[in-house]
Amino acid sequence: MIRTVALHVSEAGWLSTYQDLGRTGAEALGVPCGGAADQHSAAVANILVGNARNATLLEILGGTFAFTPDADVLVAVTGTETTLTVDGLPTPLWEPVVVPAGSRVRLGPATGGLRSYLAIGGELAAPRFLGSAAPDARMRFPQLIARGDTLGVHSGPVPATHPDFGVPLYRFPVPRLPLPEGTWTLDLVEGPETAAVPGIRELLATSTYTVGPQSDRVGLRLDGPVLHPQGLGEIVSHGVPVGALEIPHSDELIILGRYRTLTAGYPIVAFVTTACQDLLGQAGPGRTIGFRWVDEAAAVRGLRESRQRLDFLEARVKSAYAACGTSP
Amino acid sequence: MTSPPAFEPTLTPYGDSALMIAATDPDPAGRRRTMGAARRAVETRRPHGVVDLVAGLESLLVEFDPLEVSTEALATLLRLTLDAHQPDAGPDATAPTHFTIPVLFDDAVAPDLAEVAAEQGLDQATLVERFASFSLSISLLAAAMAPMMDGAAFDTPVSRCTLPRTDVAAGSIMVAGANAIIQPFPGPTGWKVIGRTPLRICDIARTPPTSYRPGDTVRFVPIDAPEYDRLAGRFLTADTPVADAAEGAGAP
Repeated sequence: MIRTVALHVSEAGWLSTYQDLGRTGAEALGVPCGGAADQHSAAVANILVGNARNATLLEILGGTFAFTPDADVLVAVTGTETTLTVDGLPTPLWEPVVVPAGSRVRLGPATGGLRSYLAIGGELAAPRFLGSAAPDARMRFPQLIARGDTLGVHSGPVPATHPDFGVPLYRFPVPRLPLPEGTWTLDLVEGPETAAVPGIRELLATSTYTVGPQSDRVGLRLDGPVLHPQGLGEIVSHGVPVGALEIPHSDELIILGRYRTLTAGYPIVAFVTTACQDLLGQAGPGRTIGFRWVDEAAAVRGLRESRQRLDFLEARVKSAYAACGTSP
Repeated sequence: MTSPPAFEPTLTPYGDSALMIAATDPDPAGRRRTMGAARRAVETRRPHGVVDLVAGLESLLVEFDPLEVSTEALATLLRLTLDAHQPDAGPDATAPTHFTIPVLFDDAVAPDLAEVAAEQGLDQATLVERFASFSLSISLLAAAMAPMMDGAAFDTPVSRCTLPRTDVAAGSIMVAGANAIIQPFPGPTGWKVIGRTPLRICDIARTPPTSYRPGDTVRFVPIDAPEYDRLAGRFLTADTPVADAAEGAGAP
């Protein structure tokens, strides 16, 4: 029994878009993968409502976001710390929440991190480009959500809650993204130009950097001590992966994000490991960042552990919802 | 048809999820030829674990899932793939599609036309004639699916702007070095703008959004302002003479 639920958006935050985990196979065509800046939180939100982890959801950056569904829906909010209320009642993040028809769901401003992910059980109807709902502003595919919009969700039945108190019936092993107070430490592996900048290893390992206000989904700009390469000729523009840590001609560091320009010619002195890239999507202006060098084996191990936690959560959620007969 | 390249490309890890293949041929033309063949070979074979590819002019970034394949295993597979394909992966391995692209060469839409002509020591009319005589080849799709072309064989390489322009219109024909590119969407560029096509070269509502691919060939033909207005907004389709552009415009 699939029904279409309408969600009426009454507050839209500063920058809220449709989003998913991004495009595959598009970078060969000159279109960056794009997708959720914090992939982990987006995947967890989808898993918690019984969706595929790359299903379309909402990415909310700044301000407050509120909506009211016209039928019961299952939602989950992950990502940054924030306040979540349903009809004014405080409601936990990182958990599936049944929202009764006509209730107002409201997300407050972000604290600690930057972006919230709001997943709704079922299929969120959204335009797609090259197989994905992820926005691409450069190609005029903004996917913006505005106040007054009505979103459509094709949804199956909603899992049960406790009939009297509305408390959740499940306790899932949810791997939250840790967003500690103070300085965040990111793991680095060596880059092609590490050796061309003598002293950069020690400098990065012992310095603290501050995320600058010019940062966006193309890249984080970090203020702090830098060294410039010596005797490097002109670098012919080449492909650069997400997480590349570049030293431009000015005195700053740039860590490339998922909407980077695909080719560049700046020296790359390190790469942020894939497992640490989710934090890049939560690091707002003023956040202090430190670095720690790891080898490739440790980088891959970190990623494997993170993926296994997602797999475990997904298996538990699927069996719980299958037992209720509500799997979408 | 072509002999195998004499210079083996290098493979370097780029973080925990990518490998860079770079050509080592001593001359730029050789490097580009090697990488063209390498790109076609890797695209065709897609070793297990490969997620995406980013083409540079003289390199290819292979992005992979390190939980599906290790860096070492993928590097070995890629070396085998490149070896196996080199003998038949020359520029003639796939038949290119030809494009004829109408361009208005006029100062009103081409702010750098006069400067480029002066740099080449030619008057504007001769520069345009020269540019229209080139047969260019699309070497890769750059940002926002822009066709990056080789073969703008001017006597001297075209220099870049000292100050990049912040907002160049869609359809702008831009040159730098011996390369040309078409701006698919309005945006910034440091390349010199020498003309503008009225055709839409990328439409995200279409599947695929462009009708060209790497390896295809391009020739530019000068048109006048009334012709520009007549063709404005039509979608670029393959091998469409200017007069017949209307037929292709409505195709799905």
